[in-house]
Amino acid sequence: MDFEKYELTRRQLIGHGAKGSVLLAAGSLLAAPGASAATRKFARAAAATPKKGGTLIFARSTAPTQIDPANSIIAGDIYTLDKIFEPLYITSAAGKLTPWLATGYTTNKAQTVWTFNLRPGVKFNDGTPLTAADVVWSIDRERKNTDGPLSFLDYAIKSIKADGTDKVVFTLSTPWAPFLSDISVFANAILPANFGGKTAAAFWANPVGTGPWTLASWKPDSNITLKANPHYWQPGKPYLDSITINYVSNQNQQILQLTGGQAQIIDNVPPSNVASLKKNSNVDLTLFPSWQTDILVFNESVAQFKDVHVRRAIAHAIDTETLVEATSFGTAKPGRGLFPPSLEYADQDAPALSYSVSAAKAELKKSKYPNGFSTKLLISGGVEKWSEFATIIQAALKPLNIDVAITTLDHAAFETTFQKYDFDMFIDYAINDISDIDEMASFNLDYKNGGSKSYWSSYNNPTVSKLVEQAEGEFNTTKRAAIYKQIQAIIAEDVPFVALDYPPYIYATSTKVHGFAVNPGGAYRLEDVWLA
Amino acid sequence: MIERALHSIYDSYTGRRLLAAVFVVVGVVIAAFILLHVVPGDPARAVLGEHASAAAVLGLDKQWGLNQSIPDQFGHYIHDLVTGHLGSSYFYHENVISLIGQRFAPTAWLVLFASVLAVLIAVPLAAVAASRHDRFADHAIRAGGVVGLGMPAFWIGIVLIQIFAVHLHVLPVGGWGNGVWQHFEGLIMPALTAALAIVPILVRSLRVGMLEVLESDFVASARARGLSERRVLLVHVARNAVIPTITLLGLNIAFLVGSTVIVEYVFALNGVGSLLVDSITNRDYPVVQGLVLFIATAVVLINLATDLISARLDPRIRLR
Repeated sequence: MDFEKYELTRRQLIGHGAKGSVLLAAGSLLAAPGASAATRKFARAAAATPKKGGTLIFARSTAPTQIDPANSIIAGDIYTLDKIFEPLYITSAAGKLTPWLATGYTTNKAQTVWTFNLRPGVKFNDGTPLTAADVVWSIDRERKNTDGPLSFLDYAIKSIKADGTDKVVFTLSTPWAPFLSDISVFANAILPANFGGKTAAAFWANPVGTGPWTLASWKPDSNITLKANPHYWQPGKPYLDSITINYVSNQNQQILQLTGGQAQIIDNVPPSNVASLKKNSNVDLTLFPSWQTDILVFNESVAQFKDVHVRRAIAHAIDTETLVEATSFGTAKPGRGLFPPSLEYADQDAPALSYSVSAAKAELKKSKYPNGFSTKLLISGGVEKWSEFATIIQAALKPLNIDVAITTLDHAAFETTFQKYDFDMFIDYAINDISDIDEMASFNLDYKNGGSKSYWSSYNNPTVSKLVEQAEGEFNTTKRAAIYKQIQAIIAEDVPFVALDYPPYIYATSTKVHGFAVNPGGAYRLEDVWLA
Repeated sequence: MIERALHSIYDSYTGRRLLAAVFVVVGVVIAAFILLHVVPGDPARAVLGEHASAAAVLGLDKQWGLNQSIPDQFGHYIHDLVTGHLGSSYFYHENVISLIGQRFAPTAWLVLFASVLAVLIAVPLAAVAASRHDRFADHAIRAGGVVGLGMPAFWIGIVLIQIFAVHLHVLPVGGWGNGVWQHFEGLIMPALTAALAIVPILVRSLRVGMLEVLESDFVASARARGLSERRVLLVHVARNAVIPTITLLGLNIAFLVGSTVIVEYVFALNGVGSLLVDSITNRDYPVVQGLVLFIATAVVLINLATDLISARLDPRIRLR
């Protein structure tokens, strides 16, 4: 039996999507014959008119521990606070930046001064109107919070000031193309200035935001109830009266609660249960694309992996199509390049080293280790997918005489170990918190400025670092796309990582649930959800 | 003076048991601290995320005292413990005692409910098996026990959920719910699951104890006096079986406290067991240390109470 890590960071949560356990086998008992869930869903959606009222029960795998946007990185916190607090822009379910508390923006010619126009008529849930002063205070609080997990995203902001009550002017230290995307992150959500005159403790006990929901009750690590914000700025929304989010860490229990009628939405559905849930006539199962790529990371400070031919040989030896087929039950897409297809500027036609054992052998012959070597592969325990990946990779490298010993550590020990560079190879995932590709490009490829020495791989290609920086200042989308195309061509040859797959978010809902959607960052807002 | 006091404590049965209990708790607390700090894992990194700078991680480590040497941290921990401070959770930003307090109710009720069910199921079965020694009922109960022992608690739990929650819709699938009635409903299957895990052991031991009593002289004499078999069983055998029952139950309640981790996970009860798993995974040191202290104390107290009650009921135990 394996236990889910309860306080998962957002990146850990989505990595656990494929987790399975012996308990999950019971889920298949629930299968019931019926028409295609997708067909039913779309047929219903076409004829449906939103209905007001009701309470949605969400059995979710993560619980909140606190809901301060400026201090959150844990999935349970993020996906709770984003119902109460909103930023100036959001990323829609389709992955597009959408004006939210702002209606739009203008910039100066140098792209260093951005003026946002606030949406008229927006009120906090206590009835007080949203003003520019609230925006200035909230984003200043976030960017100056040195302990803020995502305050680095506000790196380019030099100053913020209010222009009257309905305009906010951001001055940037440099032209920064990802700025709008950075502004859309949950950490930049807007709170009333100075906590509306309350102490911080009083404010967090009764938080005030502009979001569709207000906090009604909260039993830590058990359940949280959100009620409709009567002052919400979107007329008629949210449709539901309230939402109860129950914390259920056991995936099998989640599935049973859904099929037993105790819950109407569950997250983190294991791929192994997808087929049986699809056959259940009372359940809709949806795969939402994510900004995630599962990757095999090489430690280039280790002699064997400093050799590009070894990395290329390994890339040739891994058949990602078979790997995906064997592990994701058809839910994930085989990996090609680092950037997932759901990210803008991910080049679908980027070159990639295709699966070929003979090409792998030929490549290894060009290396300093033509006869193979012994090495270690580090993985995080408790997630079935990682051990399946590791076993497949171990077998795939045997024909090259690369003898792989798999080391499994619990997640906390795993992270500490690879972050101390104490590994040869490890399996993990690259993700984006925002819609702009720069976050992944910088964190995973820019050795110089990315902050993690290219995701602890020590991959250091000055040309790539320079191109990443260049793209950050490029506002012309065609030119920017060309830069990322170039980056993807270079890393396809250098192979700092092997992209293994692109997993989706897998959600199952009762057929009574309408309007539920998840964006590629994993966020769902729920103001559009209604119950039939 | 002190020496005399210690001698008098040691000379008394209760004193010896109490001293042993204190040593066990202290030993467990020290072992938990060492194990927790020896294994790799950084709570600051978990709280701050992967993008956090080394300076931010160090800052949080300093705030929590994790940049100090292990002996220094241990010294602070013992000092805090002696002064009654268990610290605050790194993740919940909440006092450890209050955090455990919030999670205590589902676990305590689960253990209590499971214990009662275990007795209600095990004692009659053991009595039937003993009174029908080597007959069909005896064999059937013993065979059932072997099968029961072979079924893991989580499997029993899933089967119960499938039957009573998914198909019959008479009980909730899981969760603690809100209000007394929902708590009670939510506890029926978990308590039964936990109870069924220990019933085979209880039945087996009780049956042997009862058989010994059934073969003793005073039972033969009772039968010779013409007492009905029912009266022999209920008055003479059952009364004498109380002591081993209490001892066995005490030992198994201690086991139940440990097994709640699995039962709570299967039924999404979110009690002390799931908090422990959660906190170990996150390296939430203050919570793990607080929980270990709490669970060790609970187990030791249950064992102590069992010993003392047994000694009160059977004077021979006090003289050992």
